[in-house]
Amino acid sequence: MKSLENILTDDHFKLLAFLITSARGCVDEPILYGPLRLVDAASRLIDIMEKEGKANEQILKLQELIEEKKDLVMYDEEAFVNFLDELSRELAKIIKEERK
Amino acid sequence: MEIFEAIRGRRSIRKFEDKDIPMQDLKKILEAGVWAPSGSNIQPWEFILVKNKGTIEKIKLISPGLFGNPSALIILCINHERAKRGGKLGVKTALMDISMAAQNMMLTAYALGIGSCPVVSFNKLALKELLDVPDHVEPVLIISVGYPKFMPKPPKRRPLKEVVHIEKFGEHFNR
Ligand SMILES: Cc1cc2nc3c(=O)[nH]c(=O)nc-3n(C[C@H](O)[C@H](O)[C@H](O)COP(=O)(O)O)c2cc1C
Repeated sequence: MKSLENILTDDHFKLLAFLITSARGCVDEPILYGPLRLVDAASRLIDIMEKEGKANEQILKLQELIEEKKDLVMYDEEAFVNFLDELSRELAKIIKEERK
Repeated sequence: MEIFEAIRGRRSIRKFEDKDIPMQDLKKILEAGVWAPSGSNIQPWEFILVKNKGTIEKIKLISPGLFGNPSALIILCINHERAKRGGKLGVKTALMDISMAAQNMMLTAYALGIGSCPVVSFNKLALKELLDVPDHVEPVLIISVGYPKFMPKPPKRRPLKEVVHIEKFGEHFNR
């Protein structure tokens, strides 16, 4: 078991805290903040995958896309939703290309 | 700096340089808050300044809407014991009072070359627990401050022509 000092800097724990506090926040926040928190969490998960050597170039590209476009939620809602579509398409490409 | 220049130029900053803000500048920002107007001059606010990196990290853990690595946080709270003096309206005006203090702080920060972001997306209960905030004090806004990595482009504003009503509702500027 990690000590408390370690746990605060542990990436999994950070993601856990983010998910729980986002869950509470989403009750009262604008609808599109739900998707925003989810893609933010996805980006944090990719950070962890990268550290664990599990993120390939395509997955890192997903993260780049998220970091580049997540703020659109504050500028242009339609563009933000288009970005979510683009992200889904890119994800599908990764899944499709992967041989079973 | 001219006041309108600060009003137009201030942006919400979500990426900061790794550089400390001198205490005298932080004090100036806080003082700008104190000089905000408040209903019946009740001044229902308490400001918590957090500079300790470890504490900032802990607050980030419970604040999904707090982005980047700010050098300091200012937590603006309503002191409900004080707000009560404003009668039934006191609770509502307290939030207005805090907002005025917040804008004063952010504009002052901007004039000092310091970026800021107002943040409501944090977990109130967790923040109260973390900072030993007493029951009658409610944190309502975090302002993150630090030197901006870059200035984001300004999000669109609704035009004056749409927002302003001349003499009565529904009559707008012609141009
Ligand atoms: C009451 C209030 C709460 C806000 N909460 C957040 C927040 O939790 N996280 C965040 O990144 N920005 C937050 N903002 C910043 C707004 O998104 C920002 O002010 C708006 O998009 C306009 O951009 P500008 O401040 O650069 O002009 C908040 C702003 C206000 C006034």
